Amino acid sequence: MIGILKSMATTMKHALDGSTFTVEYPETAPDVSPRFRGVHKFSQERCIWCRQCENVCPNDTIQIVMDDKRNGEQYNLHIGQCIYCRLCEEVCPVDAILLTQNFEFTADTKHDFVYNKEQLKAVPWYKDIDPLESREPDRGAWIGEGDGEVDYQ
Amino acid sequence: MDGRIDAVAPAPLQNDETVLLPERIGELTGLDGFGVGGELLAAFLAAFLVGNLMLAMTGVAGPWAKRKITAAFTDRIAVNRLGPAGLFIIVADAVRLLSKELVIPENADRPAYDLAPIVVASSALLGFAVIPMGSGIHLADPEVGLAFVFAVAGIASIGLVMAGYASSNKYSLLGGLRAVAQNVAYEIPLVITGLSVVIFAGSLQMSTIVEAQAETLVDLGVVTIPAWYALVNPFAFVLFLLANFAEVGRNPFDTPEAPTEIVAGYQTEYSSVYFVLIYLGEFLHIFLGGAIIATIFLGGPAGPGPAELGIVWFLIKIWAVFLLTQWLRSAVPRVRIDQLIEIGWKGLLVLSFANLILTAVIVGLIA
Amino acid sequence: MSTGLERERPPVEVTEADLEAVIGDRALSRDDHLNAPGFVIRPDDVQDVLSDLKERAGFDHLSCLTAQQYEDRYESIYHMKKYADPTQEVSIVVPTPTDEPVSESAEPVFRTADWHEREAFDLVGIDYEGHPDPRRILLPETWQGHPLSHDYDQEKPQLVTLTEHANPVQPDHHEAESDTMFLNVGPHHPATHGVLHIKAVLDGESVVDVDPDIGYLHRCEEQMCQQGTYRHQIMPYPDRWDYVSAGLLNEWAYARAAEDLADIEVPEYAQIIRTMGAEFCRIASHMLALATFALDVYGDFTAIFQYGMRDREVVQDILEDLTGQRLMFNYFRLGGVAWDLPEPREEFFAKCRNFLDELPAKVDEYHDLLTGNEIFQVRTIDTGILEPDVAKDYGCTGPVARGSGIDYDLRRDDPYGYYPELDWNVVTMDGCDNYARVLTRMQEVEESAKIIEQCLDLLEDWPEDERDIQSNVPRTLKPDADSEIYRAVEGAKGELGIYIRSDGTDKPARFKIRSPCFHNLSALGEMVEDEYIPDLIASLGSLDIVLGEVDR
Repeated sequence: MIGILKSMATTMKHALDGSTFTVEYPETAPDVSPRFRGVHKFSQERCIWCRQCENVCPNDTIQIVMDDKRNGEQYNLHIGQCIYCRLCEEVCPVDAILLTQNFEFTADTKHDFVYNKEQLKAVPWYKDIDPLESREPDRGAWIGEGDGEVDYQ
Repeated sequence: MDGRIDAVAPAPLQNDETVLLPERIGELTGLDGFGVGGELLAAFLAAFLVGNLMLAMTGVAGPWAKRKITAAFTDRIAVNRLGPAGLFIIVADAVRLLSKELVIPENADRPAYDLAPIVVASSALLGFAVIPMGSGIHLADPEVGLAFVFAVAGIASIGLVMAGYASSNKYSLLGGLRAVAQNVAYEIPLVITGLSVVIFAGSLQMSTIVEAQAETLVDLGVVTIPAWYALVNPFAFVLFLLANFAEVGRNPFDTPEAPTEIVAGYQTEYSSVYFVLIYLGEFLHIFLGGAIIATIFLGGPAGPGPAELGIVWFLIKIWAVFLLTQWLRSAVPRVRIDQLIEIGWKGLLVLSFANLILTAVIVGLIA
Repeated sequence: MSTGLERERPPVEVTEADLEAVIGDRALSRDDHLNAPGFVIRPDDVQDVLSDLKERAGFDHLSCLTAQQYEDRYESIYHMKKYADPTQEVSIVVPTPTDEPVSESAEPVFRTADWHEREAFDLVGIDYEGHPDPRRILLPETWQGHPLSHDYDQEKPQLVTLTEHANPVQPDHHEAESDTMFLNVGPHHPATHGVLHIKAVLDGESVVDVDPDIGYLHRCEEQMCQQGTYRHQIMPYPDRWDYVSAGLLNEWAYARAAEDLADIEVPEYAQIIRTMGAEFCRIASHMLALATFALDVYGDFTAIFQYGMRDREVVQDILEDLTGQRLMFNYFRLGGVAWDLPEPREEFFAKCRNFLDELPAKVDEYHDLLTGNEIFQVRTIDTGILEPDVAKDYGCTGPVARGSGIDYDLRRDDPYGYYPELDWNVVTMDGCDNYARVLTRMQEVEESAKIIEQCLDLLEDWPEDERDIQSNVPRTLKPDADSEIYRAVEGAKGELGIYIRSDGTDKPARFKIRSPCFHNLSALGEMVEDEYIPDLIASLGSLDIVLGEVDR
């Protein structure tokens, strides 16, 4: 009986202290960590079309189309299929593909989630946070190149 | 102690002072001049008023208050987007629930399946007929008022078992069987404990029971503590509360529904309007349980201030009981069905008889 | 509770010579794996050899069964261990010809072989002679072919007609006179913790027989890992096995197996970060287990569930700061971790310490709400009994085994990471019931907090110039051909093991996941027989299964 009363006292204490844990989204935009991985942003100016991101992607989310002179033509990314592992950003030698903190994206059909180059360029920063800057202290901590053989293709 | 002895003394069979609501409506509208037909119409109007008051209360409780209360216990905010404090969710939910498709299982036993929600909801509504709610809101005052309430509230179990077997669903069947086993086990202690109050009041009539509690138990000078039976016999009060929770199927005795075990018990297959009826019926039963407790243990509509405030005090008492069910829901696990039956037959039944005999002996000695 | 990191009874060491003596000339040849000596035996010697190893050499834990197809043969590998000392391992390799893959069933020796062999039959196509219940387990019964066998046609469309579910409301398939009732619990049911389907036979309210039907969440995780490169592409997937916040623990299972396979060193600093992150995951996972168990016993989304979620949320925030994601971390890398601690470091440490400081009060609150509550005790004590012998027979590990008094924790018994250097205890309870399992998890949360605290102390004082988070690992990893390894870590639910066979390319030739939930769930039948339906639900909750890991 004492145990039951103790349980009841505990829940009543929570009821009376008035504190809540709810985040009232979208009125209050939640804070995300600098490392948070959201929708990708692509920079064509930086991209050298090395195709490493396409190669490393575990589930073929990135598709790159090049002409016969190895100039980039298309850069397509299915953000609905992406598993947000950030390996593309990790292997990119020139920071051309970045995962922003932006998690707010919707579409009417899943095909709308196939973003092309232009759509990827237009992805806004979340709360104006540039992940490159916010993650800056850690840039040095990125993947070790290793001594062994480097296999780009 | 004088007051109590007076209360125990045989009460007048018909309390002349009580003016019932149908009579008052008859007077106000002039319907009493039209003979039996007028009286019937007045009675109907009165019943309509009381029934709607109760339905409105469940309307507030179901989609809004319950959410808010649960949220308070669980550190959340709950509905707050529609209207002040989210109150308009009641309208939105009503539209949502009523506009849903009514899905009826292929093998459902039709008349029974359709009747069950009505039986569940109406049995609870009927009970309010004899409850004196103060401020003159009292539909009928038969001599056997208390027995009537228990009788109509008990009809609900028929509704539950009908819902259970007619749904043609094994979870429903299990839920229906559990409901019956539980109601049978707890109805008896409930009535027996209620009897101990009857021994004090010397009458089954609700108005007499309420009146008897208006006497003074202790006069502390500044405050006068009335002879509410909850204070006179707290043991019976606790027993009755427990049996009542089981009777209306609330935590820790919500085994007939048992959401995580048998999906939703007897109401698994009900949707749309039928679901609303069952849901309403459940809340009505909680409120009816609260009303019975308020009437026979908490002095009915009695409270400080003028007698016109009676209905306010009465509603506060009902809501207090409702709040208690929600509080228990937040903190007390559900007992297993076999444990529930054991508590009912081996615990509460024995205790309620002990309470009855003890009360009888004490009242007998004092009188 | 045991004390310290030393085991009380050091078990007898079995040398390879002893093993050779036990197996004798039933061993056709040797096929050593990186983790254990391996013996090749004939398909009809399986029961003999396994029972000899169990009785005479003390290998009482059939940890895993890996089945695979080579160009010229099928192979079943029984990975055996000892509960008393999991570092003593032996692999029994049973080759069977391609045209007639029939092997003797190990089920009479180890009950756990039942589900294992069903899975091997289902996915690879090896028949086990004498198996009591040779049905498919993960795929539907009408599935054609065995997806992991070489001649399987991936392109062929499968028509999956669930014959037995043709009409869900048709009368029971049980005899008319019998007074039992057949009840489908799940796959959509409020208390199955995912898409689990339990075929229950009831006698009134009590359970006569249960048959868990799994596979609704089978996502070919093993095959996906076989198609990924060791270096990068496999690591995101472990997060998705046990997807309720145990991500880093799962990643460690792969990291440990692959690092041992390719002989990769991990810097000490990275090991501490790994240890800390993994224990945060364990706390989050146990919090959720506690919350959902309360849900099962209490009935609604009640206070305890919400408090559990709220407290877990704090851990999730910390993990988000550390790894960049809340559930699917992808934080470990072979040879280390992806990021150093987040900057500003002081802020991160403060956040962690703040959580640790508040934890005791929260645990007390759970004790007030749950374990101290008399009705909760009545509901959980002496229900869902799992005797230690039965638990071992079914290969149960983790809090489920420790709640049955089995002193088995890979963090201590098969040390990895930074655990051996830290001061913490393995929690065991003798209750064997639902209550003991809840208590075990609650105390493990406190032990994890102890570990995290020590890790934080170490990380704070670590010399600035020695903060190596990754060792030098080549971009393309190609472990030696035909090297095989089975390695396990203590996941949130128990022993999470990975078997990898390399064929010299940059992708594994066979990737097998030993899921603790799979084994724990297989013991459900033993726990709930003759109990009531509510106890079936409570016992299922106390097993803390995640269907993503059961079905993989």
